[in-house]
Amino acid sequence: MLRRILRPATSASGEVQGGMVWWLLAVAAALMLLVGWLLPWFLEPVSGGVGFSPQDVVVSSPTGIGTILVYVLGVTMLILVLSPIAELAFRFRKGTLGPRWDRVRFAAAGTGLLLTVLVWLLVRIIQEEPLFGPVDSHTITNSAVWLTMYGYGVAAVVYGAREWVLMHPNLTFGASALPFGALLPVMFHQAPDFVLWGAQDLAIYVLLALGLNVVVGFAGLLDLGYAAFFAIGAYMCASLASPAHHLHLPLWALLFIGAMVAALFGAVLGAPTLRLRGDYLAIVTLGFGEIIPDLATNDVGGFTGGPNGISAIDQPQLGPINFGTNPQWFYWSLLIVVILVIILLRNVEHSRMGRAWVALREDEVAAAATGINTTSTKLLAFAIGASVSGFAGAFYGSMLTAITPEAFLFQVSVTVLSIIVLGGIGNIIGVIVGSFVLTFVIYWVLQNLNEWSVTLGHTINLPALSNVNFTQYTYMIYGVALVVMMLFRPGGLLPSRARRVELETGIESESLAAVQGKA
Amino acid sequence: MALLELDSLTKRFGGLVAVNDVSFDISQGEIVSLIGPNGAGKTTAFNCVTGLFPLTGGDVRLDGVSIAGLPPHRVLRLGIARTFQNIRLFSFMTAVDNVMVGAHWWMKARVWDGALRTPRSRNEEREVQGRAFDLLDQLRLARYAGSYARELPYGLQRRLEIARALATQPRLLLLDEPAAGLNPQEKNELMALIARLRSEGLTIFLIEHDMRVVMEASDRIVVLDHGEKIAEGKPAEVRADPRVVEAYLGSGASQEMHGA
Repeated sequence: MLRRILRPATSASGEVQGGMVWWLLAVAAALMLLVGWLLPWFLEPVSGGVGFSPQDVVVSSPTGIGTILVYVLGVTMLILVLSPIAELAFRFRKGTLGPRWDRVRFAAAGTGLLLTVLVWLLVRIIQEEPLFGPVDSHTITNSAVWLTMYGYGVAAVVYGAREWVLMHPNLTFGASALPFGALLPVMFHQAPDFVLWGAQDLAIYVLLALGLNVVVGFAGLLDLGYAAFFAIGAYMCASLASPAHHLHLPLWALLFIGAMVAALFGAVLGAPTLRLRGDYLAIVTLGFGEIIPDLATNDVGGFTGGPNGISAIDQPQLGPINFGTNPQWFYWSLLIVVILVIILLRNVEHSRMGRAWVALREDEVAAAATGINTTSTKLLAFAIGASVSGFAGAFYGSMLTAITPEAFLFQVSVTVLSIIVLGGIGNIIGVIVGSFVLTFVIYWVLQNLNEWSVTLGHTINLPALSNVNFTQYTYMIYGVALVVMMLFRPGGLLPSRARRVELETGIESESLAAVQGKA
Repeated sequence: MALLELDSLTKRFGGLVAVNDVSFDISQGEIVSLIGPNGAGKTTAFNCVTGLFPLTGGDVRLDGVSIAGLPPHRVLRLGIARTFQNIRLFSFMTAVDNVMVGAHWWMKARVWDGALRTPRSRNEEREVQGRAFDLLDQLRLARYAGSYARELPYGLQRRLEIARALATQPRLLLLDEPAAGLNPQEKNELMALIARLRSEGLTIFLIEHDMRVVMEASDRIVVLDHGEKIAEGKPAEVRADPRVVEAYLGSGASQEMHGA
């Protein structure tokens, strides 16, 4: 049902009405507006946010140009926030909202964007204005304004250029997501934990998911112990750039050393497991994923620091900027790394080796009989996947400044795999969307939900709300999300084209070793 | 000298002898058919030649050099390409990508060439794609180039498998029941294709049940029954061989045929 609704619908006039990317962006714009408006209200109830929070309308006197602006903005926001819901409701009843409504919403988005920019400039010039409250760079409202502007901007693109969006889904997605990615530390400078989420969880998990996608998505080898390579990269970097062994190599070199060592381990793990496929391979990799943190806990070889791990890991230095005191630079350098990795992996996907991986995934016997060396091709997928993970691990270690074996347990592997399944196996953009959604919910919403519910409990005088511990429900959310996905969108949020067709037919191929009678 | 030699080839699965002591040669430029009732061991023999099955005994030689025990991709790289009885295309790759996989082994771009899109990778990619389109064009599949293999009609899937095999630039092409499931017109086209490939210097070894195709296309026929070679010779000779008739129609049939 949901799948049918989210698919682009062609109206009687032959005009396409909406595709997955369009829906994602429309909902994202609505969410950004909602958060931009409501966040100041939640987080700074006393200082009273910018004029963009409904509270101001209530508190301030009903006269004055500011109030009128807020009312206008409120209307535009309501239109845009309710838009995806209205569209969905119409789709349910097999009707469509015509292009006339697109024009209305485009006008709303344009007006909203213009007014927000105007008000923001006004307040910045006057510095303090009674109605809007202070908007200097130290207030949460400054972040909220940025977010609101961005939300209006995306909404304008989505509603103003719907057909263009549908014709260029990937380009639109990249063009809308990139500024958000680059501006994230600016937009959320008042919520350092959010920037931290961006760097520590989002960027790291995007890298991990991209790497695992090579193994699982491209080559079709199920790897349940992926966190092991992450651990290897992190420990490699930590032990060579910390007081633990009195070594202080520069991080920039260690990133590559970590990646290479992890790739080596990937090949070492790959070699004996090559004849296995499906369930058997999953079990062996699962074992490997358990062994590595165990080795680290038991301090084998004396260089992992046992259960306490390694601490005081060096912070990278880039010219005058110390990343330790300016954590947003971690975010920006990771962003560049992520973009580079995406470009490289996309190129590989569409080259000779990418084709060989897909061939291997589709039919190992036919691939071998067509001249593909199945052994080295699988090893390469393992090694490349592992190297991306090792690279991420090296960054992760220096970002946290301390690592313990607990950071690399099975749940990391499961999270990364869930991200891929949720986002769309084999589709790079899907994997990125998956990382975004899952890490946002698990590592930011859930982490902060406790605090918010305490505040809310106090505000509305409901103490029971303060006692709920939402972080306990992490795995329940995984479970529910995956079950819902499998029921309604088994290919993931943005399935690859092959996956979409595959789900309609459904085949599973046997391994070469099984045919040869060796396994 | 023979291009391919099967020297007392034997393959046993546990207690079952699938192929028993079978020997014959295929010369350069020849079209040889392997026929026999279901379960005679024809596909098993193919799988032994192409390295999918390890041999139990005997030897397979290409140009006098043993290829027994080599992995499938090594056998292919020596010049033996094949198709499968139950079509094994890469279902969710486009037709042109399927053919391009055939070029994988002789392409020179390494992973990093692909990742960095070096001129080597781009030029080679363009060249191979051009060749793949040519092959699709020759087999009249050009308009399906962008479709998934899975989406092609059955008869065209058979042809696409041949295109993929040809992209590997083989010297010897093994076709496993290429006419199965084709309509009479498609069978005629298949025979024309086989004749054309031979005229281009390719040696062809095929398994086939359709007697019209076998009799018209082959220079020589080898007959297997219960894993053993029971006859070998020109189409007319094989057709007249009482043992062959018996294998196909059951004992007594040949007496009836000759008695009547």
